[in-house]
Amino acid sequence: MSPVSATYWGIPGTIIFWVLFAIAFGVFLRRSYFLYRLLRLGKPERRSDRIGQRAIFMLSVVSSQWCALKTVGFTDLAGLGHALMFWGFGFFLIGYVIIFGVSGGLGLSLPPAFEALYRSILDIAALFVIAAVIVAVIKRYIVKPKRLEREESLKEKIIMVSLFTAMTMLMVLHYLMEGFKYAAFEIEPSPLLGGVLASFLTSNGISSATLLATYTALWWLNYVILLGALVYTPHSEHLHPLFSPANIFFRPLGPKAALEPVPAEETENFGVSKLQDFTWKQLLDLYSCTWCGRCHAACPAQLSGKSLSPREIILNLKEHLLEEGPGLLNGKAEASSKLIGDVVTEDALWACTTCGACIEACAVKVEHVRRIMDLRRNLVLTQNKMPETAQLMLRNMQSRGHPWAGIQSLRLRGDWTDGLDVKVLADGDTADTLFWVGCTGALVERNVKATISMTRVLKTAGVDFAVLGEAETCCGDPARRAGYEFQFQMMAEQNIETFKSHNIKEIVTSCPHCYNTLKNEYPQYGGDFNVVHYTQFIGKLIAQGKLKLANGLNSRVTYHDPCYLGRYNGVYQEPRQILQSIPQTNLVEMARTRNKAFCCGGGGGHMWIEEQSGTTKINQMRLDDALKTGAEQVVTACPYCLQMFEEGIEHKGIKGALKVQDLAEIVEAAMQPSESKGAA
Amino acid sequence: MNTIVCVKQVLDPEIPPAKFKIDPETKQVIPPPGVPPVISVYDERAIEAACRLKDKHKGKITAISMGTEKAADVIKHAIAMGADDGFVLQDAAFENLDSFGTAYVLGKAIQKIGEYDLVLCGRQAADWGAGEVGSILAEILGIPVVTFACDIQGADKTLRVKRLVSDGFEVLEAPMPCLITVSSEIGLPRLPAGPRLMMARKKVIPVWKAQDIGAEPAKLDKANAHTEVTALSVPTRKTECEIIAGATPEEAAANLAMKLSKLI
Amino acid sequence: MTLGLSGYSDGGQTMDNHKGVLVCGEIADGKLAPVTIELIGLGRKLADELGEQSSVLLMGSKAGGLAQEAIAYGADNVYVAEDSLLDHYNSDAYTQIAANLCQQVLPSIMLLGHTDIGMDLAPRLNGRLGGGLAMDCIALAIDPATKLLASTRPVFGGNAHATMVSKSARPQMATIRPKTVPPAACDASRQGQVIPVEGKVDPAAIKVKVVERIKEQAEGVKLEDAEVVVSGGRGIGGAQNFAMLRDLASVLGGAVGASRPACDEGWVPARLQVGQSGKSVSPKLYIAVGLSGAMAHLAGCLGSQVIVAINKDKDANIFSVAHFGVVADYKQILPALTAKLKELKSA
Repeated sequence: MSPVSATYWGIPGTIIFWVLFAIAFGVFLRRSYFLYRLLRLGKPERRSDRIGQRAIFMLSVVSSQWCALKTVGFTDLAGLGHALMFWGFGFFLIGYVIIFGVSGGLGLSLPPAFEALYRSILDIAALFVIAAVIVAVIKRYIVKPKRLEREESLKEKIIMVSLFTAMTMLMVLHYLMEGFKYAAFEIEPSPLLGGVLASFLTSNGISSATLLATYTALWWLNYVILLGALVYTPHSEHLHPLFSPANIFFRPLGPKAALEPVPAEETENFGVSKLQDFTWKQLLDLYSCTWCGRCHAACPAQLSGKSLSPREIILNLKEHLLEEGPGLLNGKAEASSKLIGDVVTEDALWACTTCGACIEACAVKVEHVRRIMDLRRNLVLTQNKMPETAQLMLRNMQSRGHPWAGIQSLRLRGDWTDGLDVKVLADGDTADTLFWVGCTGALVERNVKATISMTRVLKTAGVDFAVLGEAETCCGDPARRAGYEFQFQMMAEQNIETFKSHNIKEIVTSCPHCYNTLKNEYPQYGGDFNVVHYTQFIGKLIAQGKLKLANGLNSRVTYHDPCYLGRYNGVYQEPRQILQSIPQTNLVEMARTRNKAFCCGGGGGHMWIEEQSGTTKINQMRLDDALKTGAEQVVTACPYCLQMFEEGIEHKGIKGALKVQDLAEIVEAAMQPSESKGAA
Repeated sequence: MNTIVCVKQVLDPEIPPAKFKIDPETKQVIPPPGVPPVISVYDERAIEAACRLKDKHKGKITAISMGTEKAADVIKHAIAMGADDGFVLQDAAFENLDSFGTAYVLGKAIQKIGEYDLVLCGRQAADWGAGEVGSILAEILGIPVVTFACDIQGADKTLRVKRLVSDGFEVLEAPMPCLITVSSEIGLPRLPAGPRLMMARKKVIPVWKAQDIGAEPAKLDKANAHTEVTALSVPTRKTECEIIAGATPEEAAANLAMKLSKLI
Repeated sequence: MTLGLSGYSDGGQTMDNHKGVLVCGEIADGKLAPVTIELIGLGRKLADELGEQSSVLLMGSKAGGLAQEAIAYGADNVYVAEDSLLDHYNSDAYTQIAANLCQQVLPSIMLLGHTDIGMDLAPRLNGRLGGGLAMDCIALAIDPATKLLASTRPVFGGNAHATMVSKSARPQMATIRPKTVPPAACDASRQGQVIPVEGKVDPAAIKVKVVERIKEQAEGVKLEDAEVVVSGGRGIGGAQNFAMLRDLASVLGGAVGASRPACDEGWVPARLQVGQSGKSVSPKLYIAVGLSGAMAHLAGCLGSQVIVAINKDKDANIFSVAHFGVVADYKQILPALTAKLKELKSA
């Protein structure tokens, strides 16, 4: 009955079946092994900790297709389409094993009722798959949303066309095969839709010989296409079906925004300048990219017209790996094209604000930011190449201990405490709670106002805290984000020593960048302190009844989530709760909010590194987001965001229409009048 | 090419002018607390010039600094940028020396170091700003001197130096050994590369005292100083600044224009 | 390598045999440089206070023809070194001639302009002669009691003034910027001696040779002579933004200047630098844009009659020395200011 059991030109079908299978599978394995060997070009990296947790996550996310479904929004249903395609094909894969493998190759017959049931499932699944393919084609080639706008190379076009064609053909063949099989053999029960086709064929009086022959031909055609797909997939560049589950399995489990220190053994070449400098996981990312372009459509640099596209970096690196890999495996010393320069441009690397929108948007957990930082490290530490504005900032970090070159002619680090009754730690003093102000909050005039507000809030709440005053130096974040790792390490070690010398237990900070660095990165150097951002701290004070915010705000406000507080560290609710606890506050959300918030443009060293020319500026775009809400005030909890909004408002000339405030300033204004006066 | 660079550690010139305080009795500046001293800006350019020559011609760079123990930091800065090693010249007898005394001490240290092709200095110190020590040192060493260099190229036994003048540049050829004072127009100094930063930080910088370099007490005696400071004062300069405002920046600008057109 | 040089005198000179003032003059475009005329006047004044003679050294083939003029301005003696090797400044040649003359004449005081020549020559001469030197002086006076020259100069970027004396080292040397002291009065009837300097320049002594001179053509008004200067600082942010300052300067008929950070960044050529390590200007109107007003810069412009500041930080030091100010981002002020001034000019 099964086409495999027939004989063709004297050769038993079984032999043909298994020979074809062996060849196809062999080629598949060979290519897959080659791809695996390419991964081995990368450096080692430990990602096999907590195997159980990793496995559970991967299996649940992939089988539930949460990886795709999480990207679904009103304007972007592609994730749903992918889920349907995935499940549909999942059933088909099982079906192929059952039908072609068990029933065909092994020659075991299946109970008809079971077969009909399973085929019915496949009938429905195929409908979804066809629908998903049609929608995908329309989206990719007709609608062309921002994330899919790309100059596809000929190779990529061929892959896409082949994929879509193959999928469609497999679905169509499924129906046809069913129809002809059930018509030829008149088996009962028949599958849902297949049975309909079978009846149609029998009622048209086609001879059973023709039916059988057609069925047999279709069967082998289907088999060959399947084997073809098996062989083609690893040879094409469309590798995500093979590798992205592994990528999800090996995802980073540490704090999102913590960068790794440069390995101590490294003496010559720092960061990444060639493929072999990447770790195997970073190379695995390149295979796993699904070409969906969501990172591209979320990147503030890209959206403001800079040359940076996270997707292009990944895909260009993948091409580079596939092109140069074979040579490198054979012992060639260097690739023929330069990674930084030919494959990825320096401009693209410096345009990144490290906002993390790309990582957040990615369904398969590709790590874009870490890669860009590694490349920056190479530029700065090994090649000594960086934009002049970056160099100026880093030199000031080195000689004066803060990034604000030039500002020292206006005010010094400890000047903000003038006239305030704050405890400034001297040598030998100890304190449990340290209020870490940060460079911007101490040196830049607009931000000093927020620092003073924060001080008054803490005093009103009766918090026993101290500050370092002029002894405070930069946490080091701007140096690290600009790639100047050793300066960061020196500052971190120095600061940790300072904290330990004063016996500090808890650190409250106004700046999310300091927060992230002190909390998530200082442990790399032995710094183990309880670090909180002031929004968390104030929230606690309100809950404990130590702060009463009774003065109404009388305003329509919107809250801007700083990238390093929200997206990277998950602090979304606390600032909103504070705002909502103030009477007469109408809190509205911007369209891009919480984990989808749009960067202000100040991260990644960009408070100092000159923004490249594009179509617009990042802070202008975010300002527009705020204006669209109709809010009178924008509230934020980050000194960079505050600066960026102020600059945007000034530039647009809308000072009267929109005010930007730090949350500390809002809290200070909301405190009971009798308590707020004379406290500081 | 063996180069010796003279670097000075100075009080940070970048402080709010209102914080600048002096003690008229001791004729010293009182540094504001919490502001670390820095390398004199032109001396950093001198190190940069030395590093650029080393990039092209290989060789050795030695940095020397006369100052307090903290001066080791500027030597480390030089090493982080590319110098090979350095020495701090520190002695009670070296304090408050005038230009001649300073040049004498540096000259003795250079004599102790021995062979050199080029001595580089900043054009003037960022604190007292006289711009004398380099030329006096060259006279002591008996070598030619070129001042206000903004570019130095080497070839065989001569250096081709581009020199800054008020309406342009001069290009000179100087035979080695010679001394060159460097101006900031040479360009921004390099950021110390990562590994050198860490290496320099760990280095222990030797300190040379007067007897180590054979400095004669008579030459360091303040009574024999060529110049001395008899008074130090902060000039009071207070003008009442009339702030011109407006409802919009454009209006303020227009108001200012009206004011100015009456003046000129 | 020997430490010490023939002619380098160590401390402990006998100062009693040093008398008189010697001005090291400069010849520019075949004429006495304006700064030299100013210094001859100053030299005359100092010599009169000491009751001693005032002399001038002129170097170059034109020197002889200018001697009478120098006498008319107040010199008692004019030493003339007519040698074509001295027509253009050469450090080795000038040092050789001037040092030799000093060792013969033994002046008590030596004055030079704080110019391209003086800034190079004075320290070298000082090193060779073993005297005491004060550079970039804003005031010189003879102490009536000690008869010593007290030189006052800006230090610490202009934040402070230091007064210096040389008790025993001779000659007492000082450099002074042009336009610091008034030019000498001319009296054609004055009599004086013209003394040719013995000895020609020894070509073997010229170790450093000038190979090329590159003059940078300044478009428009020269910075040092402009009546209006529009100056930009670190706050300008980039080379292309200086165009706004150029526009304003051209409407006002003035020149563009800059602070050291702006020049170091490469936004404008170095010769536009105003400040302690740049040029001194004293125009009618000085507009400081995006300049914090660090003392090192102010050292170059405090002689201005009216200083206007445009800076977005109200704490900037420039406001403490400016007569008028606008606290705003210069990018929003300058175009409107330029336009309004243009309008008022054409009205």
